[in-house]
Amino acid sequence: MKLKEGFVLREVAGYTVVVPSGDTLDLNMMISLNGTAGFLWKQLSERDVTESELVAALLDEYDVTKADAELDVKQFVGKLNGYGLLE
Amino acid sequence: MCNYYKIAGLTVKMDTYGTAEERARKYICGDCETPDIVVVSKWEKNKKLLPQISDDLGEYLSTGSDFYRQLLDFNGMMLHASAVAVDGRAYLFSADSGTGKSTHTALWLQLFGDRAFILNDDKPALRLENGVWYAYGTPWSGKHDISADIRLPVAGIAMLERAEKNSIEPFGGFEVIQRLFKQLNRPMDVDCREKLLELLDRLLSDVPVWRLRCNTSPDAARVAYKSMSGKEDV
Repeated sequence: MKLKEGFVLREVAGYTVVVPSGDTLDLNMMISLNGTAGFLWKQLSERDVTESELVAALLDEYDVTKADAELDVKQFVGKLNGYGLLE
Repeated sequence: MCNYYKIAGLTVKMDTYGTAEERARKYICGDCETPDIVVVSKWEKNKKLLPQISDDLGEYLSTGSDFYRQLLDFNGMMLHASAVAVDGRAYLFSADSGTGKSTHTALWLQLFGDRAFILNDDKPALRLENGVWYAYGTPWSGKHDISADIRLPVAGIAMLERAEKNSIEPFGGFEVIQRLFKQLNRPMDVDCREKLLELLDRLLSDVPVWRLRCNTSPDAARVAYKSMSGKEDV
């Protein structure tokens, strides 16, 4: 899976913020991502990845158990799907 | 009519007509060098999409939107706000249309008399220059042409909300980022949006932002001024 194109991610006043660009989405939209979510977002925006690749990337980057990493990925992907942000 | 103007400290070349041209007149500079910004109105291209808007208004909005988009290249942006000047500093009040920005700054004019004037009633330009944020009057100032051709350092920005009682507090967290972002000019291409977030980050670290809950009594201006200026009384 991969994120839709056209999002801009940047640190603003200590928050990791994502806004859409282009003319397809609500331009008022703004999302704040916590550390793990920001990390997963970057993975998803760089290339096409599977859920298990995301879990592996989390385990590489953070000191978490496999079960927690799987749960994090599942919840995050669920949210992205809910907002229609995945291709 | 094609002219050179000095707007927000920049040399601007613009070929326009109607309200856009009239309101820009006080910004004309006779002896101007190479333009920093050449305003290109997209109205002719977009008018078919918006048949309910007159050419005059469409041209006015299009020139403004193009000017503010290019202003990003000069560390500047537009904040949807009423900006009032008192004792040489600018106080900005931002909110959705119809909340009462201009109503509030009118209270400041009453309270301060000769010490105050409106810098821009709807769309001031904000620019970061040598580490200082300045607010500028511009030809784009909303329904009424209430704007002054001058720049002043920004004392503070208040996000305005209607309430029965007047109160003001520092505004932080993710909510203030969302609220401010909504009131900025927001061109849609990726590069501009990145620049806008970069400037917003700087603005939030440099300029105090407040949450002002207020009614329309003269006391509202007094309450806002005391916190935003850091002074004991008016």
